Amino acid sequence: MASASVLNPADVSPGSVKVAEPTRDIMPPVKVRKGLWGFMWRNPTIAVGGTILLLMVIMAVFAPLFWTVDPTALAPARRTREPSLEHWFGTDMLGRDVYSRVVYGARVSLIVGFAVALFSSIIGLTIGLVSGFVRWADGIIMRIMDGLMSIPSILLAIALMALTRGSVGNVILAITVAEVPRVSRLVRGVVLSLREQPYVDAAVAAGTRTPVIIWRHILPNTIAPMTVQATYVCASAMIVESILSFIGAGTPPIIPSWGNIMAEGRALWQVKPYIVFFPAVFLSITVLAVNMLGDGLRDALDPRMAKRI
Amino acid sequence: MFAYVVRRILATIPVMAVVALFVFSLLYIAPGDPAAVIAGDQATPEDVERIRASLGLDRPYLVRFGAWVWDIMRGDLGVSIFTNLPVSTMIQQRIEPTLSLMVVTLLLAVSVAVPLGVLAAWKVGTWVDNAVMSFAVLAFSVPVFVVGYLLAYIFALELDWLPVQGYTAFSQGFWPWLENLILPAIALGSVYIALIARITRATMLEVLQQDYIRTARAKGAGQRSILFLHALKNAAVPIVTVIGIGIALLIGGAVVTESVFAIPGLGRLTVDAILRRDYPVIQGVVLLFSFVYVLVNLAIDLLYTLFDPRIRY
Amino acid sequence: MALLEVENLQTHFRGADGVNRAVDGVSFEVNSGETVAIVGESGCGKSVTAMSILRLIPEPPGKIAGSIRFNGKDLLKLSDREMRDIRGNEISMIFQEPMTSLNPVLTVGRQIGETLRLHQGMNKQQAEARAVEMLKLVGIPEPERRVKEYPHQLSGGMRQRVMIAIALACNPKLLIADEPTTALDVTIQAQILDLMRDLKRTVGAAIVIITHDLGVVAEVAERVIVMYAGRKVEEAEVGRLFRNPRHPYTQGLLGSMPKLGSSLTGEETRLQEIPGLVPSLKKKLDGCVFASRCAYATDLCLKVAPGLEEKAEGHIAACHYALKESVAA
Repeated sequence: MASASVLNPADVSPGSVKVAEPTRDIMPPVKVRKGLWGFMWRNPTIAVGGTILLLMVIMAVFAPLFWTVDPTALAPARRTREPSLEHWFGTDMLGRDVYSRVVYGARVSLIVGFAVALFSSIIGLTIGLVSGFVRWADGIIMRIMDGLMSIPSILLAIALMALTRGSVGNVILAITVAEVPRVSRLVRGVVLSLREQPYVDAAVAAGTRTPVIIWRHILPNTIAPMTVQATYVCASAMIVESILSFIGAGTPPIIPSWGNIMAEGRALWQVKPYIVFFPAVFLSITVLAVNMLGDGLRDALDPRMAKRI
Repeated sequence: MFAYVVRRILATIPVMAVVALFVFSLLYIAPGDPAAVIAGDQATPEDVERIRASLGLDRPYLVRFGAWVWDIMRGDLGVSIFTNLPVSTMIQQRIEPTLSLMVVTLLLAVSVAVPLGVLAAWKVGTWVDNAVMSFAVLAFSVPVFVVGYLLAYIFALELDWLPVQGYTAFSQGFWPWLENLILPAIALGSVYIALIARITRATMLEVLQQDYIRTARAKGAGQRSILFLHALKNAAVPIVTVIGIGIALLIGGAVVTESVFAIPGLGRLTVDAILRRDYPVIQGVVLLFSFVYVLVNLAIDLLYTLFDPRIRY
Repeated sequence: MALLEVENLQTHFRGADGVNRAVDGVSFEVNSGETVAIVGESGCGKSVTAMSILRLIPEPPGKIAGSIRFNGKDLLKLSDREMRDIRGNEISMIFQEPMTSLNPVLTVGRQIGETLRLHQGMNKQQAEARAVEMLKLVGIPEPERRVKEYPHQLSGGMRQRVMIAIALACNPKLLIADEPTTALDVTIQAQILDLMRDLKRTVGAAIVIITHDLGVVAEVAERVIVMYAGRKVEEAEVGRLFRNPRHPYTQGLLGSMPKLGSSLTGEETRLQEIPGLVPSLKKKLDGCVFASRCAYATDLCLKVAPGLEEKAEGHIAACHYALKESVAA
């Protein structure tokens, strides 16, 4: 049917060529930005969230350099002063400088956030891996996790804190226990879906040992969702810490945290709202930064996951 | 269908057993002598001895657990250490405000969040979408009590539109009841709204990519019909699931919100119990909340067939 | 005046790494009652062309330019509201994926009835009754029962029949069928094609059929448009195109089609293939879009893009070297 005989280059002289009309551009060209700047441009939430979080960490670490005074120094004579040049954020009912307390308070909030994120990731990863690989343990572990997850997490943390004395360590422990089930479920889900993948099947069929499979195939694919989850856990832990402190089951009043500064300002909130206001703003901005970082990482690491939540 | 319902109900038994065991064990996880922990700091040695006897600490752990569960099944949640009243009675006295707050919040949140999520998905990438999503991230980032104080400060103290604090029983009339619940419900609902709006948007975005949406457009269906008939009905299952899961947020948040707005509900009961180390009360409340949570999610599971004809049990 | 006149249609999409010129300057006409096939490999822009006619391209990220005149009205100038009145009514469309193109949570009857209620102002009962008639028309047994069922209760072939019922419910003047049989079993394919031919006779609609399957083209089409990389490269009456393809790309397409029984008749059985891949649609090319894969390409082809030229009566092609009838004769 098709024959090349209709084509005859020799018969064509350039002069008789019919030239196609060039087509128009109907939309402006896309500027492709490369490198770090391009990454920031495409992921503004990571850039903004990361920068704010970094600033907060610097403030917490170098608190003494930020024109602070001793955050625990009592001065009964200067109680509940309004914000002024001398006391930027005013003073609380014991005359302590609210600005200094807020700056130092960043330490507890950030430590709680990071520690809970770290510990619940490690524990959740371990439990999730065991659950995903050891079939007989899976049923038992998941029943326990289901049970723990059916206790609302703030209530679980509150119940645990009710048992112990308020300390930063106990707060971290209580929130971690409440967060672990979710992380475990996530890891288990990833493990189970990866085990269905043909390449993991092939590795199993080829007799690869389980630790090697975990190291080579499972862990690399778990890192992205785990990182995203860890940022959310971190944000949530900072909020829960403040709630625990707020209802009197959190960190001891001796160590300033954003939560317990607000808890102490609570009685006076109608007349001296600034005592609650300043730590609230710092806490919210920090949590916002972590959440933005989490959203940005989620979008950047897994575009498919971005469609869910 | 019937077999599935039975199986699904039976499946909640191990979950509830884990919850019960955990709540029961709370006392024994705590360092030190549980009797002394319960008795508190001001207790005399006789008090401790009395409590030890009442706990039956001489019996094996699982026997004690069994007896405790048996009591709960008969509606006996123990006696408060502080008031000496039965815990079940204390819960009954406090349940109305909490239930009212939760129901109002739930209705408010769902009726605001779902349209917001649909709107954001429809206008994806525009300023409307960005505004909704920014609100959602912000709501996730501000503790519920801060939202509460902020609302109370603006709408009650400054503008004087609504009462600052307190609760009026439903029997006193609908408006006085509702008036006291508006600010707490907004405060408590903010995170919940954010959660539902986000899942609604995400699910809608996925559904709007589907071939059958293209078919609906090709038929000449209008935007509203595409969003609310063709798409939302397909997005319903994940949205309803998250509404159920999010009730955990409501329960946790209620504890705090009731403190902010001085609502005499179960949340206040919990906080007071914690400050007094009134363990039987804490156990009772945690158990009740968890039980409700599990039941609500069970009910939602069973309702899936209403939304999706493909789901058959 | 033709029923549909597409002129210099451009549909571009904005992506993260550039503008995708999915359709770039395509013109063609469809007369009343005529069946026109648009063929080409996947990614050549044929589906986008079809979607552009009904303005089903999401904007943004897409954008449509040029003009699409239907009965003299430029569809690209209509308001959304006016466009909705045309969709499913005067122009309707059948899609490639019968398994996913029906809404899983609505009954078949409701989905057919929706079109009727939208465009013919029928009430629920009337629409339902007409839906039963439509199901009977497209050859679905027990229509009274099927009308109350959900898509997952139907087979793929039945779902495509339902899609056809939806498309024909309002007696459209133009039916666009985007790969209507690709996803179906071979026997079902034949049934669906027969059904479309029969219905065309009864309804009298013009059909634009989008396909990569030249067998389908030979079966139903009267005229063929060949697309490559977002452009029209050849157009002719179907017999003429099959007998005497002018563009090297069309020749390649025909050569890559297996011929039934060729091994028995002792003909050459080896299928030809077209080497290489479709060029990126993100870059503007200077020369002929097909040059990189063309066995006959010369320097001229790489430098100068060939325009569409009438090579014989009613037979146009965009190739510098395709012979004209007068020369060939």
